[in-house]
Amino acid sequence: MAQAQDKKTGAVMVVGGGVAGVQTALDLTELGFYVYLVEKSAAVGGAMAQLDKTFPTNDCSL
Amino acid sequence: MVEAGRSPNIEIISNADLLALDGKPGKFTATVQVRPRYIDAEACTACGLCTKYCPRHLVDSYNEGLAITRPIHIDYPQAVPATYYIDPSACLFLQHGTCQICVPVCRSRAIDFSQKPTDRKLAVGAVIMAPGFGRVPEEALTKYGYGKHQDVVTSIEFERLLNPSGPFKGEVRCISDQRHPHKIAFIQCVGSRDLGCDNGYCSSVCCMYAIKEAMVAKEHDPECEITIYYMDMRTQGKEFDAAQKRAEEHFGIKFVRAKVADVTPWDKGLKLTYATMDGSHGFTGYDMVVLSVGLDAPTDASKLANIGGFDLNSYDFCKTTTFAPLESSNPGVYVAGAFQGPKDIPESVTQASAVAGIATGMLRNQRGKGVILKSYPAENVAEGEVPRIGVWICHCGINISGVVDVPKVTDYAGEMADVVYFSDSLYSCSQDAQETIKEKIKEHKLNRVVIAACSPRTHEPLFQETLKDAGLNRSLFEMVNIRDHCSWVHANEPEAATRKSMDLVRMGVAKARHIKPLPEQTVPVTKSALIIGGGVAGMTAALTLADQGFPCTVVERQDKLGGQLQQMLYTLPGDDVPTFLKNLIDKVKKNKLIEVLTSAELVSTEGFVGNFASVVKVTRGKDIVEHTIDHGVILVATGGRPHTPEKVLGQELPKSDRIVTQQALEAQLAGKGKNRAPGSVVMIQCAGSRGDDLAYCSKTCCNEAVKNALKIKEINPAAQVIVLYREMRTYGYAEDAYRQAREQGVLFVPYTMDNKPLFSDKGKGVKVSYHDPILREDVELAPELLVLSVGLVPESTEELSKMLKIPVTADKFFLEAHVKLRPVELPVAGIFLAGLAHAPKPLDEIIVQAQAAAAKAAIPLVRGKVEVEPIVSHVDQDTCIGCGICVSLCPFQAIQMHKIDNKRKAETIAASCKACGICAAHCPTFAISMGGFTNEQINAQIHAFGLIEE
Amino acid sequence: MSKEAFSPKILGFLCNWCCYAAADSAGVSRYQYPPNLRTIRVMCTGRLDPAFILRGFAEGAAGIFTGG
Repeated sequence: MAQAQDKKTGAVMVVGGGVAGVQTALDLTELGFYVYLVEKSAAVGGAMAQLDKTFPTNDCSL
Repeated sequence: MVEAGRSPNIEIISNADLLALDGKPGKFTATVQVRPRYIDAEACTACGLCTKYCPRHLVDSYNEGLAITRPIHIDYPQAVPATYYIDPSACLFLQHGTCQICVPVCRSRAIDFSQKPTDRKLAVGAVIMAPGFGRVPEEALTKYGYGKHQDVVTSIEFERLLNPSGPFKGEVRCISDQRHPHKIAFIQCVGSRDLGCDNGYCSSVCCMYAIKEAMVAKEHDPECEITIYYMDMRTQGKEFDAAQKRAEEHFGIKFVRAKVADVTPWDKGLKLTYATMDGSHGFTGYDMVVLSVGLDAPTDASKLANIGGFDLNSYDFCKTTTFAPLESSNPGVYVAGAFQGPKDIPESVTQASAVAGIATGMLRNQRGKGVILKSYPAENVAEGEVPRIGVWICHCGINISGVVDVPKVTDYAGEMADVVYFSDSLYSCSQDAQETIKEKIKEHKLNRVVIAACSPRTHEPLFQETLKDAGLNRSLFEMVNIRDHCSWVHANEPEAATRKSMDLVRMGVAKARHIKPLPEQTVPVTKSALIIGGGVAGMTAALTLADQGFPCTVVERQDKLGGQLQQMLYTLPGDDVPTFLKNLIDKVKKNKLIEVLTSAELVSTEGFVGNFASVVKVTRGKDIVEHTIDHGVILVATGGRPHTPEKVLGQELPKSDRIVTQQALEAQLAGKGKNRAPGSVVMIQCAGSRGDDLAYCSKTCCNEAVKNALKIKEINPAAQVIVLYREMRTYGYAEDAYRQAREQGVLFVPYTMDNKPLFSDKGKGVKVSYHDPILREDVELAPELLVLSVGLVPESTEELSKMLKIPVTADKFFLEAHVKLRPVELPVAGIFLAGLAHAPKPLDEIIVQAQAAAAKAAIPLVRGKVEVEPIVSHVDQDTCIGCGICVSLCPFQAIQMHKIDNKRKAETIAASCKACGICAAHCPTFAISMGGFTNEQINAQIHAFGLIEE
Repeated sequence: MSKEAFSPKILGFLCNWCCYAAADSAGVSRYQYPPNLRTIRVMCTGRLDPAFILRGFAEGAAGIFTGG
């Protein structure tokens, strides 16, 4: 089994790439940190990517 | 999401599982296993050919099983990362060693069946758990015929049916025979508030999303009849009650308070049998039944908890406390989103910002050590160069090309002068399209880019970033909106829509010929904050900012810190509030970075994000001192207070010491009379809220009533407590307390606005009469105490609204920049919001919101500078005659006069300019030009408009 | 007069913050309206020099719409 080592200070791991995870990751980078965003499925987005519109602005959720 | 995919400081490790976590806060090692995608992410161009050739069918879980895909696929075209993957459970090769058709089909040779799982060890300072939510148990669905009858669908499936990219391309059709349903029923609380499936809590979001889905379905088909069956409509969120009213009055959606017994087949459709509160039964036929499913804990919650070393609560969500809502039981491991408890998007987004704030506060000393600063290639276009324009026409899947003839528009663009490259694009916003754009810019030496797609209001920044990556100034870009302004609004006139698209593209290209690179400007930031309000929100925000290393000044109007929290003595879960408040105040006072000004008021504020100057008036006895404070950001946490209604339920309030508020009752129960509780109490909910006096729901009163009812029962188990309510909104885990109160004999009796409870006190004690719908009779009581749940109002928001130019809602709460996605920012850059001044909410939500507002406020302070959009006005000093008309007209005080060689000249203060262009339109000598909107450019657009063929 | 014959060319100036945004949300909500309008986005209708409007008429606009 291959093993990769990532040695870094100033990094944070976020587990889950739904709306909460992605927003957390974005804010972490804005606050000066490197982020590993670990997502179980093949793409980030979570449940929000399935929504048609969100109340009340009916924005496209992507 | 695309933003996360583009950030150089976010590495997305998808298709991966967390296997182990070791270490301590500041120094964790996480082991992550990446499962093989069997496709080389670097080589895959997301062309989709492999999916076309894959012979095997696979149920499409992204479309909730309502559509079919193939084992080799991508969930949806805008997915990040935009790489296809093979579902090993269905692939013929991976299961049976056959097939492999996809391997030769792939032109970029990206398919690699030799991939194996790889382990990675990540050194991280903190871990944030945001795994979201899971599905409610199957049995919660099957009891309503789900799985047996095809037209019983879950609300998530219904959401996919409403979606243009969904199974019927946005048409709502019955799954069984594809007919359009004429009658749809929603059943609420499926898998929530249901001990039968061990989900005793309320999922908090289903009432609102059911209303949203019902309204959208009505927009699709106004003839459709929709009924929502519910126990309590829990629309306690900001402006949610108004949405329910609109659903009822404008859309004609019916709301029926009843429990649904079962759903059975009936003729071609379904029969729904229900029981109303008074015990009577009824049934109605429907074409489709939608189950409003709740949010469950994620399926792998206990595995995650084991690995992460933290505790779960009894429902398998992450366990946290009222005072530290985002900290798990393992220090350094935090939680955000639905895993902390079921919640809606704004609360999730708020928690996300808050958790980023507290985790980075803990890791302050590591800040900046791991980040990669994004560098852009040098801009290589000199002004005056001959325009070489590249045009892309986007299909937006079928959103545009379903109506507009995209190839025709593309060819038309190709014939225009100066256009040296033109192409169509399936999704021009996708990540692979950005790569193509970059390549073509280099290959064809493009120096202007025009993209005809959706709205620049949402997508311009994304394409501008691509231009920067390709070494072009981001201003050399023009966007043409042929979706929102064309294909979507002329869906039935494809020819006219195509003509319009061609005209708009021509106008865009005409403008593009005249666009020029604009210099980027930045302004330095004063690295400190001003916090208005010294309640729990203001103090929490101050501590969060101080943890980040930034000084702040807290301005409190009263003579001491604490705000409304001084009135709260215990919480529903039983926390000791006074001790918490005392510790919080001590921490604030001891923190060297925090300056506290009590008996102080904000007098004025000038400036803009990064550079505010405020005057604060402090009263010390007879002396009044004015302080001038320079600061980079403002945090508004002015709070709220209990409402004092003049009339309750249309009745004058009699003068009586036996009629009190919940807050007064709380003081009595926790104070001297600690061991005495009244023997009989009637509580009236919504006494002043929800259309009685205040238009909105105050969100906290139901919890407060249950809290006090339980306290009375604890002190005096024999006491008779009756709660008269319209809807019990004990959302989330508070539902447990509501159930406990009922079990302990607290009587909850609903009333309606056309049959309100009556009360009086003619000096001989209180009398209350009401209609009991369960007993079906009128009841008259003489309780020892009548307690009113009076609701919350914001504290003097109007003054501050004028001073800071920040908007308020009709209900006088401050209005955030975007209710879903920017919940703690105000529309004015550099001003942030937390606490009751935003909307009524309980203590734990206030704490999170304050942490989030502080985290967002810290962003410009961390950066140390703010970038100014280059579209601001510019005064040509040679042409300016110094008349000063612009200065007098500018609504933002963004132009100043100054003297150069003894001549008066106007000059723009870039950071204050909002690019409105009033100055440019009025300058008598045309000395003022607007970046990106010059006279030349607009005139070229008008001229191109004139070329329309009739 | 036949109904088809009348198809005026209308030029619109839309403010980025309100009318352009409203036109976006008309699209999101799929409101249908006649396809005669061609628009120019400005950051604010304050940008409009009366000369733009005159020029629009000179270029053959049957009507000019400003939304801000």
